[in-house]
Amino acid sequence: MTNARAMRALQYLLVLVIAVTLNFLLPRFMPGNPLALIAGVDVGLLTLEQRAQLVADAGLDQPLIFQYFAYWGDLLRFDFGYSFRQSRPIVDMIIERLPWTLLITGASLIVSAVIGIVFGAISAWRRGRPSDVGLLSVMIALESLPSFWLGMLLVAIFAVQLGWLPSFGAVTPAGRLEGMDAVLDVVRHAILPVATLSVLSIPGVYLTMRYSTLSVLGEDFIRTARAKGATERRVLFRHVARNALAPVVTVLALRLGYAFGGTVVIETVFSYPGLGRLVFESVSGRDYPVMQAAFLVFTVAVLLANLLADLLYPLLDPRTRAT
Amino acid sequence: MTSPRPSPPVGAADLAAGERRRWYLRGSSATVIGGIGLLIVVTLILVAIFAPFLAPYDPTERVGPPFARPSSEHPLGTNDIGQDLLSELIYGTRVSLTVGLVAASVALLIGTTVGILAGFYPRRLGSVLMRFVDIVLILPFLPLLIVLAAYLGRSLMNTVLVIGILIWAGSARVIRSQVLSLTKRDYVVAARAMGASDRHIIWKHILPLTLLLAIGEFVQATAGAILLEASLSYLGLGDPLQKSWGAILYWAQVRGAFLTPAWQWWVLPPGLLIMAAALGFALLGFALEQRVNPRLRQAR
Repeated sequence: MTNARAMRALQYLLVLVIAVTLNFLLPRFMPGNPLALIAGVDVGLLTLEQRAQLVADAGLDQPLIFQYFAYWGDLLRFDFGYSFRQSRPIVDMIIERLPWTLLITGASLIVSAVIGIVFGAISAWRRGRPSDVGLLSVMIALESLPSFWLGMLLVAIFAVQLGWLPSFGAVTPAGRLEGMDAVLDVVRHAILPVATLSVLSIPGVYLTMRYSTLSVLGEDFIRTARAKGATERRVLFRHVARNALAPVVTVLALRLGYAFGGTVVIETVFSYPGLGRLVFESVSGRDYPVMQAAFLVFTVAVLLANLLADLLYPLLDPRTRAT
Repeated sequence: MTSPRPSPPVGAADLAAGERRRWYLRGSSATVIGGIGLLIVVTLILVAIFAPFLAPYDPTERVGPPFARPSSEHPLGTNDIGQDLLSELIYGTRVSLTVGLVAASVALLIGTTVGILAGFYPRRLGSVLMRFVDIVLILPFLPLLIVLAAYLGRSLMNTVLVIGILIWAGSARVIRSQVLSLTKRDYVVAARAMGASDRHIIWKHILPLTLLLAIGEFVQATAGAILLEASLSYLGLGDPLQKSWGAILYWAQVRGAFLTPAWQWWVLPPGLLIMAAALGFALLGFALEQRVNPRLRQAR
């Protein structure tokens, strides 16, 4: 058990090292001027002295291996570098954006958990009947749905045609709202992005819950519970649901990392000022250092989500607990 | 009552759509599903092949006023520079399907190589390879795709390569498990007993059957690749000269088409096509897998 844990930890560490190394190597070996790719500046607009200064600042005149260790050193001090396009440290930009992304991914995780678990349990309970087949078909169709397109449709229908909800941003610009009004404003702006993100995650949760409930239903202890005269209700809640939830929670924790990636497209649709939108902005503005920093933050988020799943699982499923 | 089944593997790979579908759809009728999938896929392929005959206009020419509403001349209206949207959609089928199929081939090539090596040499090489597969599966997929695409530049070739080298890991897992069971079959054991070399066994006995079993995997990977291409192009990272369905949506977004009534003819149709294509390939792939590999076709 401890051995397996050590392996997992090692694996996560390796993922981080690979992500950082990719980040380090890509701009240095891709076609194009490395200065433009690393510092994200318009090289053509600089004088020769400025270029030399930048090269020295970025350490590009040092041997590659020194650059690599210097890169790690900076990252470990949370120094993600400087955005020349925005004229500000990248870490500030990330701290500014991160809460919005956490808000909508967190909210969508709760929404997709509730919907996915409830429908998954219903589906399994009525396996093979029309309601099960219907739900299953809808979920498989949802998996083929391009999420950004769904977002565009939601904006067109609910924001533009019906005018019920705002079409972009996280708060009303220039609106000095106070107290409850400010909170409501944030909620109204978050509804459509959260709905879109949730649709992305619901099928995964639903399918896991359905399968996990089905396999629990076939276990001996369910037959025992029925045999000793437990009511259907008691069987469903005490015996089936409790045991079926463990894999679902794991999938949810893993989905968290996945949902972070989904925010790149979805925040772009809604011009939502989160980290995903920052990726889009930095890609279209050729602000490569910002893009790299955001990628690293996403990687760390995925690793934390995996770690969380590993820690949660033994709590939920005693059979996997170390003896 | 369902018989007890082995629980599905828990890990990041659970999220691979194909793997999940296999676990959950087992009981459904593969023939109907496959029929629907085949119908969609064949229709789209025919549209792609006969695009020049089907499209009323050259999609790169300005053939009408910009932002025109649907009319008898332009059934889906025109875009911001007066190109016919229906023609763009029809030609876009070519781009989207090509990227999907070629990217899936790249993924399958890598996935099969890794899968066969890992399954045939399960001890040292296999465990190292599978650790690597796990790592690829954990990396945040979409952001990495975007970073790679941004550095490589916008071209069809790069889109295909980037998607291919990121989606192979799921296939590698599936193929490895198939190879593992193949190597235990009698005729392979017999061949080995008669002194056949590893290379002979892999090429003669393992590879042909593995490729056959991997057909379903390939078709399902195509569905994933089509969706990924759409996301990349929507973010403006697609080939600027080869407009796919996702690229049409990118321009619809840039020109604010979804903020006007134009969403009904500019935004709705490309998305429906992306969804139809992804669904068609996913269903067909699932059905093929059930047919080719009867072991998956267990009775419920």
